[in-house]
Amino acid sequence: MYQPPSLLEKWSQENNELVNKCKQQEAGGGAVSRDHRQSSLRWCSSEFHKLLRKIQGIPPHVDHSQLELAVVYNTCVCFTAQSQFSEAELLLKEATERVLQVTGNNADTSDPLVLWRAGLKSAGNTALHPHVLYLLCLQWALWLAKCQLENIGELQEQMSSLCEIVCDGVGDCSPSEAKGRLSKSPLLVMEPKRLTELLQICTSIAQGAEKLNEGRSSEALSDLQAASALPATRALVAYTHLLSGSCLAHMNRPQMALQCYKRALETDSRCVCALYRSMLIYRQLGNTQAEIQALRLLHSTLMLPPATEPVLGGIQPLSPSLLLSSQSLSRLLSVPSALSVLYSLALKCVLSGRVTEGVEHYLDLLAALHSEDQHAVDAEVSVLPRMLELYLEAGTALLFTRRPADCMAFCNEVISTTLELVPEKVVLEEPEEGIGGDARGLSVEGEDKVAMLLWAAAAYLLQGHCHTHLKDWKQAVTHYTRCINLLVKVHLKNRDFQPQIPAADVNVKHGKDLCTLQRMKGLSLAWRGISFTQMDQLREALRDLQLSLQAFPDYTGAGLWCGEVLWRLGRKHEAAACWEKTWSLTTQTSVEKLPLYLQDPQSGPLLDSVELRLRIQELGLT
Amino acid sequence: MEGRCAVETWAQFGFSGRSYKVKILCGFGTDVLICTGTEEIYVFSKRERKITTVLLLPAAVSDLVGNQDKQLIYVACRSGVYRVNLQFLLHRDQSSQADASSSPAELKISQECLVVGADEVSSLLLVGSVLLTLCQRDASWLLTLYKTPKQTASTSHEEFGSFHLPVVSAVDCGAAESNRGPRKGSVLICIHSGDVEASSPSNASAESTVAQDHFHLEPLLFKLLFGVEAALAKSPVILCGLPDGRLCFLPLRLPGSRLRVLHSLEQPVCFVGASVVTETGHAQCLVAAGEQGRVVLIKTDKAGSEGGSAMAAFTEGCVPGPVWCGCMDKSCFYYSTGADLLRLDLSEGSFARESKERGEETSGMTAAALQSPSSLNVCRVIALAEPACSTAGDVQLLGVSARGQLQRICLPAGRVDEGSSKLPSTQVSRSVRDLLSAIGDVCERASVLKTVIKSKNQFLRLLNHAVSVSFLLMADTTTDLPIKEKPIRCHFETSWSRLLQKDSLSLVCFLHNSSPFVLERGWTLSITVSPLSYSSSPAGESSSTNFSFPFHDLRPGQTFEASLPIAAAGDASFPMTVSCSLIFSLSSLLGEEEVAASFAGLQSSCISLPLSTLTVDWLHALQLNSPTAAHKMATVQPSSAAADSIQTFLSSRQLRCSGRTNKGGESAAKPESEKYSASVWVSSEIVRDTLKPKKSSNLDAKESIRDPEDLCLSLLERLLSEDTEGVKMGCQGDKIALSTSVAHARGPNGAAMKLTVKEINVGEEESTDKEATIEVQIESSSLAAVCGLHHAVLRRIQTLLQSATEKAASTKNVQILGLRRALQRAEIQQSQISGAFGEVVSTVQRDRLLLSVYQELRRNPLLIV
Repeated sequence: MYQPPSLLEKWSQENNELVNKCKQQEAGGGAVSRDHRQSSLRWCSSEFHKLLRKIQGIPPHVDHSQLELAVVYNTCVCFTAQSQFSEAELLLKEATERVLQVTGNNADTSDPLVLWRAGLKSAGNTALHPHVLYLLCLQWALWLAKCQLENIGELQEQMSSLCEIVCDGVGDCSPSEAKGRLSKSPLLVMEPKRLTELLQICTSIAQGAEKLNEGRSSEALSDLQAASALPATRALVAYTHLLSGSCLAHMNRPQMALQCYKRALETDSRCVCALYRSMLIYRQLGNTQAEIQALRLLHSTLMLPPATEPVLGGIQPLSPSLLLSSQSLSRLLSVPSALSVLYSLALKCVLSGRVTEGVEHYLDLLAALHSEDQHAVDAEVSVLPRMLELYLEAGTALLFTRRPADCMAFCNEVISTTLELVPEKVVLEEPEEGIGGDARGLSVEGEDKVAMLLWAAAAYLLQGHCHTHLKDWKQAVTHYTRCINLLVKVHLKNRDFQPQIPAADVNVKHGKDLCTLQRMKGLSLAWRGISFTQMDQLREALRDLQLSLQAFPDYTGAGLWCGEVLWRLGRKHEAAACWEKTWSLTTQTSVEKLPLYLQDPQSGPLLDSVELRLRIQELGLT
Repeated sequence: MEGRCAVETWAQFGFSGRSYKVKILCGFGTDVLICTGTEEIYVFSKRERKITTVLLLPAAVSDLVGNQDKQLIYVACRSGVYRVNLQFLLHRDQSSQADASSSPAELKISQECLVVGADEVSSLLLVGSVLLTLCQRDASWLLTLYKTPKQTASTSHEEFGSFHLPVVSAVDCGAAESNRGPRKGSVLICIHSGDVEASSPSNASAESTVAQDHFHLEPLLFKLLFGVEAALAKSPVILCGLPDGRLCFLPLRLPGSRLRVLHSLEQPVCFVGASVVTETGHAQCLVAAGEQGRVVLIKTDKAGSEGGSAMAAFTEGCVPGPVWCGCMDKSCFYYSTGADLLRLDLSEGSFARESKERGEETSGMTAAALQSPSSLNVCRVIALAEPACSTAGDVQLLGVSARGQLQRICLPAGRVDEGSSKLPSTQVSRSVRDLLSAIGDVCERASVLKTVIKSKNQFLRLLNHAVSVSFLLMADTTTDLPIKEKPIRCHFETSWSRLLQKDSLSLVCFLHNSSPFVLERGWTLSITVSPLSYSSSPAGESSSTNFSFPFHDLRPGQTFEASLPIAAAGDASFPMTVSCSLIFSLSSLLGEEEVAASFAGLQSSCISLPLSTLTVDWLHALQLNSPTAAHKMATVQPSSAAADSIQTFLSSRQLRCSGRTNKGGESAAKPESEKYSASVWVSSEIVRDTLKPKKSSNLDAKESIRDPEDLCLSLLERLLSEDTEGVKMGCQGDKIALSTSVAHARGPNGAAMKLTVKEINVGEEESTDKEATIEVQIESSSLAAVCGLHHAVLRRIQTLLQSATEKAASTKNVQILGLRRALQRAEIQQSQISGAFGEVVSTVQRDRLLLSVYQELRRNPLLIV
């Protein structure tokens, strides 16, 4: 069967032209937009596909099967780059079958693994062998992209021999020989050697991630450390370090994990994930200063303009991101958005006492949220709290830095937003029974009316604190009263137990809302009492403080002040008892978990415990 | 509905069929852009009443939005979104108009204008600098956000976000398509929260985009529908109506927001808008209409459910006929069924609300309103835009008819409705409470401020007084007024008193305020008494004493009297200086507690104004032994006399007079034992001259003082009682009747002394011109007394003479002889002194020597002429 050589030449010429065009476009790829690149890829793949159809129009033959396989390779690369995996896989399967036909074997199986083994075997040592191997590379890439790592595992030996042959084979050829072969052989869109290298490291990374996910950390660690020596782009090497670090963190070796993350950062400075992971480790270790530092770095890195795409993708049509699409890996590589990092930073600063800094971050965050550049890009993980809570927290931070006027402005904003939506009466049920239903007052948008009420109340509470800070007791009383008036609108349902139950128990049993409600009640009553004390209205003060202790028995401030008021009323022994009781309370450590705005204000009148003890002593003496 | 609509056809374009999406875009000055679903966009100029330009696009146009600010329009075609710069276009248009005025210019929009290469974009929206496209991809609706470049020159439109919403009920959608041809409309509008308007800068740009698809919704409804987060972030919300009947919304600037479904009409949405605009410019009602006539009105239900809080109320209803297109003005929804143009007055619903009907009844009313749209009798309208309300209340609409006519439709004046909104009672009570408490606060503050202002005024007045007084006193020191004429002056009197068997000298100070100012709180009279010389006091210690008397209210013309003990008999060292000053302290003015609290440094700060400084000398402190007094003393107080003499003895010991001066006996009784004496000679002429005016002014002018005896008497009198520099010896009970020119007295140290004034003739015996001289001789056994009295007498005479110096200039001759003798004496004395210091003698001897020289000096004075 004779084929006119002109046809073969024409095809191979056509192929080479296409490849050259493709490469030109790739080379200029940095400048043109992604859209443009996509469309050119589409065009290329359709052209290759057309060519392939022409070639495959005739029965398989040894002479031009080399060209055919090259065109199959090129077409598949283009398909894969466009994530058209099924088309590519189909082509590969057809190609293998045709190889088998050429070599005279018959394939009566549809199992790709068996098919490939057969194909490789039949190609044996013929001239077709490298081309079959190239196709196997593509199959590998497809499996990787589709996260079918087990298939890769099955063909482990073939793969490793493939690597040797592809990498060494090309390398071993003397330049002249290589040139001669290249001039004859049809051009390829992507160099197989590069593809193999890429596949190797990406496979290691994907497998590492998978193993890590399954809990086989030490196994994954050794693989990843081996992979870090492979030739690859910086970003990929950084990934290996990063994953090694994650393994080590998993194995409870935080310091070594930190080292790995550091190496990842050194390898690729844009590896924000390493920064993020380091931050998590610092948080776990309780190293607040380092954590804040890491958060700050992370934020500034995230605020940098995004890196230009070609660095990661190279100028190859197949980008690593295409190959590294496994769920477990993306989970490991995910980094929260810049805004939520900024939020964590702000909160951490305030909690660790660097209030002024924290305030700056809060203000930056709010400014960012209000800026026109901020748009609702759909981030899958948004750990930002609700906007109103942000306002309240920022207000609290401002109060901590003694800027009550600014705090009040924030609170006013919150109040004006929520007050209209606060219901006249709301029923708070036990969460086990009362989820859903009208009683919870879910609005159209699903916003909880209870939360709305609690926010408004918290805003009033903060305003009260502001006035307390300014020693404007009358106004303080007014605002605390407003807070209390809102809080009493909440009716608790199915609560037949006594309020004397410790708050911790309540905390566990009932939702966050109930805990918040009780604490806010306690705080607002106690501080109204304290304000009354300052205005010398001792009876009202005593009433409020006692109510506060009923609502929230663990609040030491209320206890101490209750004693103080009793003392001033001349009931000194009661006062002493009250103080003793307050001191005997075990201080709760749950402060960290509370929202910032429910913490005890750091300003306002204080009682000195030492002085109180002295008073008790004197009382005992007389 | 009396009165008919006037329809005016403006233009006709070659177009027929009702299957395309027709859109009228206004807002570019007088130009109106019309797209009819073909490749052409017509630019109609209202001024010229004709189509000026036709834009030819590469494919059928599906949507059109504009940015008035930049004079840009974005056109969605089958093949992508094109951007056309109208300014440039109209410019060219005008230039080309000159030649071909009748036929519209045709402009081909080339591929260069393609900015977004997305296929089958069904709707477009511009929000600020963000371009949104809505298109259907496979099985989902895709809302994509593009950033438009700041410079109009650049063409890059960067995609930065997209949102998916899966397509549901594709079958329904397909059915609708089969019914109505290729029309697959979707609506995109942007809703802003009402209260954002003024504040956010983003709004300025949003405002400038054509307002047709931007609405400002009442804040409460906005919050109810789209959440507080969006309201707080001041984020605009994108509302899209899909052909499957869903109304979806997306807060544009909220991180992590998703496309969510607000409502479903269950028929293709063909219009979404907001109406019932209040005075503040916020729409109170959101309206969505489906193709088959289902309309949903979304309003705030304030009285709402049993919870009492506001809720969003969705009122669904059906209006007759297919809805082709719609538009809204401030209170009405106009829509065309193809056969008729209808008007729905939405404000009626709110009227029903006012009439206190509740719940279902209210919605019933609204539904009823939906049932009865009023017909306007205009048919075949397939697109509506730009309702404009004239001052007379006429409404004008722009419409496109199914035959391709651009029409202006004038509607007859509607009724003017009055929408006064009422607040629910809870809100009212809350606001009343707020107001009351605010009033209370203001009142409290006002009273506080009033007292502050009052005290400030008081303070200023006091300060003003203080400054005036100090100026007055400063003027005194500069002009050197005589003491009597000073506006605030003080003088003193000395008086001996006997208390607990002890004589003590007290000084009474009189401060006379003849200034026009009241000396009130804050002013203090401070008197410092200190010895003139410290020679006699034991080393170092300063023995000055300070007295201060705060004033309470010394009115003009009043006199303040204070008496201060100077010394008990015997233990004072005379002469002493009394300086008095007025002190004004700021701290007393401010009030102690404030000062103590805040200005610790202020306590010492005060203004001190010296009044006068004077000397209390021996003459002031003399205790004259009038005959009666002497008797009294001799008889009544032997013990005290004895004590006195002991005192005298001790003091004389202290004075280091030699031991033999006193022997402890009554010094007054034994004048011969050891007497020191000193004398002063004054020319009697001078004395006469100086005493005369005083006499005439003081006592009886008739009394002659020619008599030398009288002269002596009056001089003595003068010496003893005269008020020098404001210090006067107080009258000791009775007026001293000096019968002789000899006065016996006891000094403050208890020493008895004699003061003799007599006329002698001084001068050489042989000399012819004997000068009539008055000698004042002081004799006492106490050296200290002699010295002190001598000093005092000299001072008196000095002041006497000072007042008469110019008169005394006519002294006849100088006693040359006397001078010579005096010179001689002086030489001798000097040699004695130098001898005393030169020889090595004991200190006792030297002292005695010096004392004798001193006595010599005192005994032989120079005549004062």
